Amino acid sequence: MGGYKNRILEVDLSIGKMDITDVSEDDKKRFIGGSGVSAKLFLDRFHIQSNALSPGNPLMIMNGPITGTNLPGTSRFVVCGKSVLTGIWGESACGGNFGPELKMAGWDGIILKGVSERPSFLLIEDSRCELHDASDLWGKDIYQVTDSLKARYKDGRQVKVFAIGKAGENLVKFAGIGNDKGDFAGRTGMGALMGSKKLKAVVVRGSGALEPALREEYSSLLKILIAEVKESIPARALREMGTDSGMDLGMMTNDVPIKYWISPQDFDLSFNLGGPALTEKYLTKVHSCYACPIACKRVVKVTDGPYKTEEGPGPEYETCCTFGTMIMNKDLAGVIKANELCNRAGLDTISCGAAIAFTYECYEKGIITQKDADGLELLWGDIEPALKLIEMIAERKGIGSILAEGTRGAAAKLGKGAEEFVVDVKGLDAPMHDPRGWHRMGLGYAVSTRGACHLQHMTLYVEQGMSAYPETGLETDYKGPQSEGKARMYLISENLGVPCNSACLCILVLGCLSASHFAEMLRVTTGWKNFDVEELLKSGQRINLLKRTINCLLGMKREDDRLPRRILTPLSSEGNAPNLDQMLKEYYNLRGLDEIGRPKRETLEKAGLSELISKLYLTGA
Amino acid sequence: MAYRFWSEEWIREYQKMINSSEDYKKSGATWTAGAVCLVVSANPSVGFDKEVGIWLGLYKGVCEEIKTVTLEEAQKAPFVITGDYSRWKQVVLGQLDPIQGMMQGKLKLKGDLPTIVRYVKASQDLVKCASKVETQFVDE
Repeated sequence: MGGYKNRILEVDLSIGKMDITDVSEDDKKRFIGGSGVSAKLFLDRFHIQSNALSPGNPLMIMNGPITGTNLPGTSRFVVCGKSVLTGIWGESACGGNFGPELKMAGWDGIILKGVSERPSFLLIEDSRCELHDASDLWGKDIYQVTDSLKARYKDGRQVKVFAIGKAGENLVKFAGIGNDKGDFAGRTGMGALMGSKKLKAVVVRGSGALEPALREEYSSLLKILIAEVKESIPARALREMGTDSGMDLGMMTNDVPIKYWISPQDFDLSFNLGGPALTEKYLTKVHSCYACPIACKRVVKVTDGPYKTEEGPGPEYETCCTFGTMIMNKDLAGVIKANELCNRAGLDTISCGAAIAFTYECYEKGIITQKDADGLELLWGDIEPALKLIEMIAERKGIGSILAEGTRGAAAKLGKGAEEFVVDVKGLDAPMHDPRGWHRMGLGYAVSTRGACHLQHMTLYVEQGMSAYPETGLETDYKGPQSEGKARMYLISENLGVPCNSACLCILVLGCLSASHFAEMLRVTTGWKNFDVEELLKSGQRINLLKRTINCLLGMKREDDRLPRRILTPLSSEGNAPNLDQMLKEYYNLRGLDEIGRPKRETLEKAGLSELISKLYLTGA
Repeated sequence: MAYRFWSEEWIREYQKMINSSEDYKKSGATWTAGAVCLVVSANPSVGFDKEVGIWLGLYKGVCEEIKTVTLEEAQKAPFVITGDYSRWKQVVLGQLDPIQGMMQGKLKLKGDLPTIVRYVKASQDLVKCASKVETQFVDE
């Protein structure tokens, strides 16, 4: 079977022991890799009820079979475990170059168990795997630790670094992990899980190669895919303006959340914060992940003014919203500064910005005072206090310590009705796409297995008309603010998006390709016979059910498949909101779930998951 | 009175609609990026023996010039959007958003994408103006 190295490194940090493990060929085909294989390992081999910060909760860093090939969009890898932020299944995918390097070193993934006695980092050079003392690195920010480790191992091929910052060390619940400064596994608090293990970084250098199973077909496909991506307008938009290219159009369609999800369209904000503005004012060059013909990553520099920065990784669309539109800040230089601070500290810019915008609203409502906010005056439009809050959150100082618990955790501590207006699902702050503009996104937020998520499904691309996958049964044109027919559309796009995260294909690249291309990428790499779009979609169903089963065992029920009250309230008298009850009813029926949200026995059997029946139904979940 | 799609009469009416649109006057107020050319691909079955372009001389919210042009002339415009007859019909009928059409590859764009993105509302207002022209389609 091509694509896999058939070795997963298993490290017990408590005793410094290392083993080699693997999953069966059957499980590779059933769950593909990445978060699918991680979920299977998590359920089969670990006590999933363990507290997320306990030594028993594993941190899994996993590649997919296509990671490290030269096919477009194959830079990605995923970090999984029980989420420190949500207490349910957590996963966060990351681009860059770490995953391919790990594959070249001969590994499909790493399972990290236990807790190191002292700060450490893991060095992997092909088969040589060692734990090293990281006491001198503890307390350093991600940029510093990356530079330091690259300098330490400067001889030979450059090492790739995957590290946490102060936020991870201080167990901030939405801490992320950074790969070589510019790429992050941001969501669900995987950085806090890594910090709880006293693991500062993983450093990898690989000298191997990856041979696809069907070399000739692979080479032909590679040419086709590169031509497809180059022809694609979404790819062109991403290359020229980055992910922020969508803000102007998003503002037109009510996709962009404003003032913590409470204000309608504001074109002045998108004019100042959108992709064209970022490109014209601050872009110095573009950067690409491993083997990517798009190069959507921005490199920016603020040359003067109060938010002066060195040349470095620029903000994504989501960050331009959380530190821009969400707090009514029009100063893009301030957003770039906020992005740099979050990157250095290792903070998810979505959850961090959302928590801060929520705090601004608490201040406006009188739930917190200037004294509660450690003297900060949290006024809409002013980025300055947000920058101070980022540092206070990372250090867990003052009100930052409350916000470090995540928006929902902070709201519970603050009380006074604050919980009523938190915009999250299952504890994960909603990303920056408003379901009142695009109803199917609302269903996606409600049922995604890691909480409010826009990346476990292809909804964003299909519903907004950027991509079309007619071979999957999806139509090419959908109306945004309409709930009818959206459950079926969501189900298909979820069945396509879930294997994307398991194969570790970049969702932006999939947005420029067809489902057939994606199935072919897996077939020619692995050599799986007859693997086609139908098989791809079936794997999406199977992996989704596996993750849902984990969440059911962790106590999730139908009432947790919800949307925040604010998202169910129209933005204006002419606006509307998703009909979640209708979409949810249809989705449950199509996905084969029972009335309390569990996969039905027959659904599991049909999906080839009979082994989950006893776990789910004999434990009283 | 209905005007035959893409005819001289149709484009004159289209210009009137653009220049009487308050929405476009506002959304295109700062447009100084030059002409936009809309090109219908050749399709003899619906009367287009060769490509035909509509040249829109746009400047600060006003359509100063409108004319039909050959493909060669059309390519001189800084922005050229090309599609087949059925796609343009969908656009004019309001069934296909032009930006979505470009994203999905149903319409091909030549020109500076950041500029088009920045003027996304103006482009939609231009389409709204086209949909206001009473149109007689060749295939109906």
